[in-house]
Amino acid sequence: MTMLAVFRNEFGRVFALRPVLSVMVVAAVIYALFYPQPYLNEALRKVPIAVVDQDRTQMSRDLARLVDATPDIAVAQVLPDVPTAERQVYARAIFGILLIPQHFERDLLHGRASPIALYADASYFLMYNRMSGAVSAVSRTVGTNVEITRLIGLGVDPPVAAAATDPMPFIPVPLFNPQGGYATYILPAAFVLLLQQMLLIGVGLLGTLPGEEVSRRTRHRLSDRLYESISTVAGKLLAYLAVEAPIVTVYLIGLPYLYGIPRLGSAATILAFALPFALAVAALGLVVAAVLRNPLAVQLVFAAVGLPFFFLAGFAWPTEAMPLAVQWLAKLLPSTLAIDGLVDVAQLGASLSDVRSEFLGLWLLAAAYAAIAVVVEFARRRPAPIPVSV
Amino acid sequence: MQRREHQPPGFSLVFWRELAWLRRRPLLLALTAVLPIGLMLLLTAILSAGLATQLPIAVLDLDGSELSRAVIRAVDATPDDAAVLHVAELSEGRHLIVSRKIRGLLMLPRNLERDVFAGRRPEVVFFYNTQTFTVGNLVLRGANAAIPSVAAGIRISLRTDEGIPVEEAKAEITPIPVQTHALFNSTLNYVHFLLTALLPAVLQTVVVTTMAYAVGLDVETRHRFAVLRRLGGGLLPAMFGKMLPYTILFLSILGIADFVLFKYLELPLRGEPELLVLAGFLFVLSCQFIGALLAMLLRPVAVAVSIATVLTAPAFGFMGIGFPRLGMNEFAYGYGEILPGTWYLMARVDQTIRGAPIDLSWKPILVLTGFVVVLIGLTAARILSMRRAAEERTS
Repeated sequence: MTMLAVFRNEFGRVFALRPVLSVMVVAAVIYALFYPQPYLNEALRKVPIAVVDQDRTQMSRDLARLVDATPDIAVAQVLPDVPTAERQVYARAIFGILLIPQHFERDLLHGRASPIALYADASYFLMYNRMSGAVSAVSRTVGTNVEITRLIGLGVDPPVAAAATDPMPFIPVPLFNPQGGYATYILPAAFVLLLQQMLLIGVGLLGTLPGEEVSRRTRHRLSDRLYESISTVAGKLLAYLAVEAPIVTVYLIGLPYLYGIPRLGSAATILAFALPFALAVAALGLVVAAVLRNPLAVQLVFAAVGLPFFFLAGFAWPTEAMPLAVQWLAKLLPSTLAIDGLVDVAQLGASLSDVRSEFLGLWLLAAAYAAIAVVVEFARRRPAPIPVSV
Repeated sequence: MQRREHQPPGFSLVFWRELAWLRRRPLLLALTAVLPIGLMLLLTAILSAGLATQLPIAVLDLDGSELSRAVIRAVDATPDDAAVLHVAELSEGRHLIVSRKIRGLLMLPRNLERDVFAGRRPEVVFFYNTQTFTVGNLVLRGANAAIPSVAAGIRISLRTDEGIPVEEAKAEITPIPVQTHALFNSTLNYVHFLLTALLPAVLQTVVVTTMAYAVGLDVETRHRFAVLRRLGGGLLPAMFGKMLPYTILFLSILGIADFVLFKYLELPLRGEPELLVLAGFLFVLSCQFIGALLAMLLRPVAVAVSIATVLTAPAFGFMGIGFPRLGMNEFAYGYGEILPGTWYLMARVDQTIRGAPIDLSWKPILVLTGFVVVLIGLTAARILSMRRAAEERTS
């Protein structure tokens, strides 16, 4: 059986088999619309907090107003004491409490340090960061103004006073994703992961559902069987590439554009990098089919492993923090190298030579999984006493 | 097998039949028991080392003075950052960031020391990569803590030079210090939150999809559905007999996972364990009935499993594990609202990390109870309508 025949048969099966079509095409459409929803607002804004103002002076009210004016937090309630406010935190009405103690204004006017306290819910890392960042920024601004006023009051020149309060300004410059948007961070990686999931399940189903064309003649010569195995695997991989080509293009270029994610890399480089990725995933799918052997097992196993794969990929959780054994396990999944490489190429504008190691690694994975698939195919063609028929 | 022949039809007959089934079908047992435990172990292994520390950064020191070296030492001394190499120019540093060799670049301008003491306010710049969110925030945290503290030292020395006592100078430079207290999770251990949160997300997918599969096998054809009904001596006992073995199985898995989390990984358990168990029970039941309902509404089984996957696999995003639900658009917030996992996660966080007072812990548990009641109602209605359809056909 020639490679072309396998290609045509396999390509046809993608559209003929309903479960395959639904996972490779219909699911692609649904996930493209459904999956990004939680992240589309990009940033967490206006986290509600309560102010417990025990000072009740002009200055304390000004401070609360400034905190409310930051984009990050909103003063949702003004409460008489901390225990009352804590109950509101437990009820999830607010996520932080800003306490302005008594004598806040008096201490400030007397030139003493006048501390304020922030009690912030730390179970959500992102919210905690927002709240503490915003309150510190406001306290710094107000504090600097107080300090400058004091110095000027002592007869110091205004520019000198400004230099004395902030002699060495610290300027953090985020390269790439400058807004620190959550969608910009998570979606490019998640799209790669979704592509992998859908292709793995699709190929897994194709390999386990009936209807594969098997050669009628059982050849006995080893070289013939080997040649047939190789051309079968190659034909299948080509068929999957043909089906995936438009989907990959949409997921890696169309969707990021649609969701307004900045892209620095050229489309050609992205697609060039996607080729070994798609091949490696498709070949891994053939191996998966041979291991699981049952279409429902393919579906059920991959439904469950989605989330662990997400964490293995090294963007939700830094790879540096994983134990070495896990890091090696992660490298066996095409998504790990592909996410690093594709994000670098698309979002950071890296060239193919910048991501050489990821690129070559993916080709290596593709070759290894394809070789295993050929071995599996070869073993299936063992001359049987009863000829296999369609 | 002998048991079955001696038993009258009813709840327990179906129950034992299901258990025997589980024994004979390694696939089902592997999916319901081995897989979730294995995945939890994997997730625990991924997170076990804790948050990344000593992330590599590079330094572009154009000053080479006492002060610039002090800044580098201060940044290097933070737990977050490690200054691993010096670069000669900006483009080199940028290239290293793009190729992920380093996570940040600290640039100290020429004449830093001279300008600082001349009051010219030279800027210390830190370049980092926010495309890798967590890592970017971590390296920034180190620089953000170290550099202002060096600057504070300078500000104090500027004042002590003028003859102001150190204590007074210290008070003067920060007129409004902020004391930040972490409510709950006081060690700011993100791993605790993630492990607490990921278990329900994984289990939700596993329970809904495998129940869609297990129930689907019995209702896929009219004949099998009739067999199940006869064995159960009625539809409702048959249904509950079918579900209960899995309830026990999934609750045991939840129990084992939680035992490991609380006993060995020392996750805080500040609330009421009874409420945690109750919430877990309601959560497993709701997920089971969602799966069962899907199996009864959609045929063949493959389609039911597909839809179950589409509904639950992306759920962790909607449950607010990464990006908080507070920041989501209305659709995402609303979808999160109808996932049992969202409410179970709230109950879990309440009873583990937060230690919420009992009177404020009931909301998620009541919502879960509501889910169970509504879902059982819907399932019963669907079963009755299926029976009616079957009877009309036979008559």
